[in-house]
Amino acid sequence: MRNLFAFLFRYRGVLVFGLLEVLSLTLLIRNSNYHGAAFFNSSNAYVGQVLDLRTRIYDYFRLVQINQGLVAENAALRQQLYPADTAGRVAAVLPVSPDSATQARLRQSGRPDSLLLGLRQLPARDPDYPLIPARVINNSLRNVDNYLTLNVGSLDGVQTGMGVLAAAGVVGRVKVTSEHYATVTSVLHSKTSISAKILRDGTFGSIKWPGEDATHVLLDYIPRQNKLVLGDTVVTSGYNAIFPEGVRIGIIDSFVKEQDKNFWTVRVRLAVDFTKLTYVYVIKSRPKMERDTLEVKAGLKPEGEQVRP
Amino acid sequence: MRELGVVLIQLLRLAAYVAVHTLIISKLVLFDVGWCFFYLGFLLYLPITTPIVVQLLLGFVLGFSMDLFYDTGGVHAAAAVLLAFLRPWVLRLLTPRDGYDAADSVNIHQMGGQWFVVYLGLLVVLHHAAFFLLELGSFRTFGLTLAKILVSTLFTGITLLIIQLLFFPSRRKR
Repeated sequence: MRNLFAFLFRYRGVLVFGLLEVLSLTLLIRNSNYHGAAFFNSSNAYVGQVLDLRTRIYDYFRLVQINQGLVAENAALRQQLYPADTAGRVAAVLPVSPDSATQARLRQSGRPDSLLLGLRQLPARDPDYPLIPARVINNSLRNVDNYLTLNVGSLDGVQTGMGVLAAAGVVGRVKVTSEHYATVTSVLHSKTSISAKILRDGTFGSIKWPGEDATHVLLDYIPRQNKLVLGDTVVTSGYNAIFPEGVRIGIIDSFVKEQDKNFWTVRVRLAVDFTKLTYVYVIKSRPKMERDTLEVKAGLKPEGEQVRP
Repeated sequence: MRELGVVLIQLLRLAAYVAVHTLIISKLVLFDVGWCFFYLGFLLYLPITTPIVVQLLLGFVLGFSMDLFYDTGGVHAAAAVLLAFLRPWVLRLLTPRDGYDAADSVNIHQMGGQWFVVYLGLLVVLHHAAFFLLELGSFRTFGLTLAKILVSTLFTGITLLIIQLLFFPSRRKR
């Protein structure tokens, strides 16, 4: 027995080292699953407070930029308030479900306000699709997997799996929420896969992030025989029910035909400037749960599998 | 009583390094490839005689708190523990001819510029190599990772050198 203790004591450095490394790597592997440990991330309340403090410090250095962004957004909102033709303001053309209950609630609340998010007009106060405005308090750009932290949480109605949009377009998907904070998997994540389509002709593809550049993503699975045009707008397809259909992702920047590949290699410039991201909106699409259960029932999706953003 | 004082001072140092790193340094990025791992200064400038187990535990606590801020799971912790494990080896490698004095510490004025630069450079480059390769999880974009390692090593190294020159006493305490 004494020999055992002597042995343990002699190699205590290596043993503790091994133990701690295994622990860290376990944490790392658990975190890279889509739904990682709920506690150990930046949506934790204490970490959120520190990040808030840091944001307040950094805001002093960015006041001009933030003001300019807000002025631009205000101008855009004012344009929506006083459009040239008032047709766009009528509730009938907004993407609101036509069932009688929703319509009745809308009539009660008067004309719904709407916001233009990534080319898509969304009602701001529709009870079925709440838009939750949020402030980005932490943002990474240059890692292999990038995350954002928002200053809204489950008390504000944010839930895991909701989509996140900025005024310019798609930002990401909520990963974990605590009471007052939420962590968001950004589009700049190695496991990103967003179902997308080209607005001009409706060709479907899938958005991937190659991991080098915070301004560009790749659009996969566009067949070789399709004609592409530089500057075409790429929008969400609405296939995975996290984002509404038709929200802008970006525009086609370049495309090349590679040998021995059936698909175009298309580079898309992101509409959202992730380096200046400050205000975003969390959106919910109501039929998602129902649609997921239906698709599981139909055997299209194995139970428990999570749809990626 | 003296030991208690040392422990208290080290805890204050830990808090100071973490606060400065998270509140100010963490957003600095050089040319999109260089980060400053300022918090490593805490581990690198611990007293030479710190027990290895304490060093490893401190490395883990420090790295793990950084992981919470960066949402990286365990990358910072793994790399910091590796750094804490390698530090005694590097110190042994660089032992002066007649061994370390009881009063010796990691201090550029006491140990000399050459000793200090080798010590700092070697440990920082090992830490950064481990960190960026772990973060990547593969050897995919190796050129970019290599650039990140080199630029970050220079950035961290120069920052910690400045800290050393500014805040460490040039004369031995008697």
